[in-house]
Amino acid sequence: MRVKLSVNGSVYEREVEEHFTLLRFLREELGFTGAKEGCGAGECGACTVFLDGKTVNSCMVLAVEADGSEVETIEGQALNGSLSDIQAAFDRHHAVQCGYCTGGMVLSVKELLKRIPKPTVPQIKEGIEGNFCRCTGYQQIIEAVLDVSGQAESAGKGELKHA
Amino acid sequence: MLHKFRYVNPGDRSELLDLLAENGSSAKLLAGGTDLLVNIRGGVQRPQLLIDVKKVKGFQGISWSVTDGLVIRPGVTINELLRDATVRDKFSLLAECAHDLASYQVRNRATVIGNIVNASPCSDMAPGLLCLGARVVISSKRGERELPLAEFFTGVKKTVLASDEILERLVVPAAAVGARGSYRKLKRIQGHDLGIIGVALMKKDGLISLGISSSAPTPVLVTGLHEGDAEEVLVAASRKATSPISDVRCSKEYREFMIGTFVKRLNREVK
Repeated sequence: MRVKLSVNGSVYEREVEEHFTLLRFLREELGFTGAKEGCGAGECGACTVFLDGKTVNSCMVLAVEADGSEVETIEGQALNGSLSDIQAAFDRHHAVQCGYCTGGMVLSVKELLKRIPKPTVPQIKEGIEGNFCRCTGYQQIIEAVLDVSGQAESAGKGELKHA
Repeated sequence: MLHKFRYVNPGDRSELLDLLAENGSSAKLLAGGTDLLVNIRGGVQRPQLLIDVKKVKGFQGISWSVTDGLVIRPGVTINELLRDATVRDKFSLLAECAHDLASYQVRNRATVIGNIVNASPCSDMAPGLLCLGARVVISSKRGERELPLAEFFTGVKKTVLASDEILERLVVPAAAVGARGSYRKLKRIQGHDLGIIGVALMKKDGLISLGISSSAPTPVLVTGLHEGDAEEVLVAASRKATSPISDVRCSKEYREFMIGTFVKRLNREVK
């Protein structure tokens, strides 16, 4: 089936197998390898992308379902070589270790901050509950989110108060 | 990796019903895909054709009126339900159930009707919808039929739906407005997880209803209870209606104990 969709603002038109997931299409056909396959079952969030402005697990969306849609991936976050504010905060707080979850994590944080510009720690935890990180223990990620949302005083230096 | 299948996305209802009538048993309806595509990936289901319901005209949105009640159509996602002003204002029990379902990304995609037709014993939407007296409207080329949600489930992942039928509308009657209720889900972790058990308790006009998931082959509804009934009476009724099993998540005895605990807590919390 022929699909036409935009990824990070550029339009792509391709013939795609109907049983290909959006994740597989992005990675294997278009070369956007920032979205990863972790569990393939909607648990881990490593495949998170924006589909028409909403975060989805791209392992559970068919490429053909995304026909006519606007997709945004982690590759679209840094502009002209400059990290986005969220990416820069992740960098400052060492919220990245192996990096496998980071793309999805950054996009889920972006979605969270669109809804709740100054989230509390419980709201941050809920906002990223669909993204597993097996390295950082989440603390640095939560600090990065507090920082980027203008709550640096709450972010502390690794002494996060747990809610 | 998914096996090869065909995909169609009909634009109108009659086209959809024709497709179902022709392909019924070898086809599956696709809405959010958060259960179906996982099942296909795991080899649990091998449909030859996926029929996408999301583009069908008239299958989107939630509507509310005193005459028709709250009507939920096949395209409505869990997050759409959560954002709906009528749901938040008049059916907060449903919003609580929806909020406990999976993660934000999954809720962006998963549909309310999908959570019902999948007929998982651990459905999060079923306990609230059962308490509220929801009804299902089922369509096929042969016509339309309507029945209480309580009569829809027939077993683990089994429903009354024939292969040519679709659950086209979920209807919460206007009579349920004014009910007070709450939902509690026991999980292994605070984040998103399948329920160990789920209990909804609703009070209205002096009566109490319980909707219980992960405790029997299907989600169950318990009625015939009254405000003012002793806690032991409520617990005994929940015990009688359920038949939990031991599995990877916990033992039968723990489930039995926690159903009773949740019923008691909810009865105290829901004023």
